[in-house]
Parts: sequence; structure tokens; C-alpha cells
Amino acid sequence: MAAESKLAPIRKGLLEFLVLKIVGAKSMYVPDILRRLAGTEFSTQEGTLYPLLSKLRREDLVQYEWKESDAGPPRKYYRLTDSGQAQLTALDEYWNLINRTIADIGH
Amino acid sequence: MQRLSTTVRLNRSVLQLDDAAYVRLERYLAESASLLEGDPDPQEILADLEQAVADQCTRRLQPGQSVVTLAELEPALEEIGSVQVPGASPSAEPSTPSAARPLQQVSEAAVISGVCAGLGRYFGFNVTALRVFAVLLLLLSGGGVVLVYFTLMLLMPYAPLEAGGPPLRWLPGKCRTFMEYLRTKFNLATN
Repeated sequence: MAAESKLAPIRKGLLEFLVLKIVGAKSMYVPDILRRLAGTEFSTQEGTLYPLLSKLRREDLVQYEWKESDAGPPRKYYRLTDSGQAQLTALDEYWNLINRTIADIGH
Repeated sequence: MQRLSTTVRLNRSVLQLDDAAYVRLERYLAESASLLEGDPDPQEILADLEQAVADQCTRRLQPGQSVVTLAELEPALEEIGSVQVPGASPSAEPSTPSAARPLQQVSEAAVISGVCAGLGRYFGFNVTALRVFAVLLLLLSGGGVVLVYFTLMLLMPYAPLEAGGPPLRWLPGKCRTFMEYLRTKFNLATN
């Protein structure tokens, strides 16, 4: 329980990074993103993802376009903007750096 | 005459809801809107959520069924989850009474370890009555309660000690030290 209460904020903070990574690989609509995260430590819900994507869009890191779907109304497909791509690269590098530090420290 | 359903527009979809489902959905959307207070763009998120509800409910309709009931809506809302605003710290989430006053052992008010004091405080029981009850159970159960007490000692975290308070009495102090030793040794969670 003690460990869990410390891990939850870490996951929460990293979710944004993971979402950038996911839409960076391929433009996706929200159910695809949820499926990609399902079964991982970062499994989440629409109630969490839509507000996050809205924030990322305001920060000009992602944008969406409407695409027709075979069934039902058109869907919003999210993808990275150029500044989103730049931020993802920076986050990726920083993440690797942190990982190395964590692995090395204490030895 | 009886009204069977209400037709609602949810973003880009149109859905028929029975009365119970309509009331439930109205509540969910109102809750979402209030959670999004302070968000610069609540309209967009609410529209997305409406669409999610419509998609999820439509997917759950049986062939030939046209009216959404609570049987479809509840699991749909469960899957969508309540609105989490990014960047909000977990402590900013609405606090429940139990979160405000967690279930903890209270060493300062303890006779043995503080389990009864903690249970009494958490559930609002009279602590003395709880202790009398526990002693009665001890006599009737032939000692089984000891195991229950010990398990609770192990599972219930200790409330932080009052700063500058009086030193603990002997037994509560020993219990606390011993339990903390056990938890460290077996790597058990303490809070």
C-alpha cells in the first residue's frame, strides 16, 4: 500500500508521455489509444484521456482531424504536431537519462 | 399513457433513453461538468464524453433493441470512468469521510495497541463499549479474537503521533515498536 501510493503519481505523470508516444507512432482515435494502454500499468479510461488530450491540444502538442468511419459518426484521429514531436524526442532522451541514472546510482 | 423513452442528441449521435437512464446520464454529465470547472475547454471534453457514451451504449444494445436502459448505461459509464483533470493532485480529489479520517490505530488512546481506539474513531463507536464488547467476544470465542486483534494490529497503520504529546504508555509503545519492526522485516505496507 505504501509503495502503491507512491507509484500512482508516477504513473499519472507518465501517462502524458505515453500518450504522446502512442499518437506519435500512428494517428489514432481514443478507443485505439485505450486499447493500446489496456493491460499495461497505464490502463486508463475515456474520462481521463479526453481531458488530457484536450490539454495537449491546447499546448499545441497534438492535433486531431475528423475521419469518416464505416460504422457510426466520424471519429477524431489524434496525431503529434511538430512541437509535440520535438517534446516527445526530448522526453524520450530525458527518460533514458533518468533510467541510466537510476540503474547506476547506488552501485 | 406512459412515456417510454426520451430521444437525446449526444454530440454527433442520437440515442433513445428510458427515464431511469436519462436521469442517470444527466447526473453523470452534470458531475463531469462540475469536475471540469476551471478547465479552459470544458465544452470540447463534454462533447467527447457525450460521444463516448453514445458509442458505448450503441455497442451494448442487443439486436433489435432501440432504447438504452440502465443495463447498458451503467457498464458504459463504468468503462468511461469519471472525469480526471490532468495535473490535479490526488489530494485535490473529493475527499470522503474515511479519507479525511483514515482507519488507523491510535497509540495515544490505546490500552493495548490502539485497534479499538482506531475502530471507534473511524466508525464513530463508543470506544469503551467497543472494548467491553471485544472482551466479551474474547471470553465467548475462546481466544479467536486474539487472532483478529493481532491481524488488525498488523493491517491497520498507526496514526502519526501527536507532536509534543505525552510519551506513550508502556504497552502501546511496545506494540507500536514491535509492529513497526515486523512490517519492516516483512516489508509490509504501513500506510
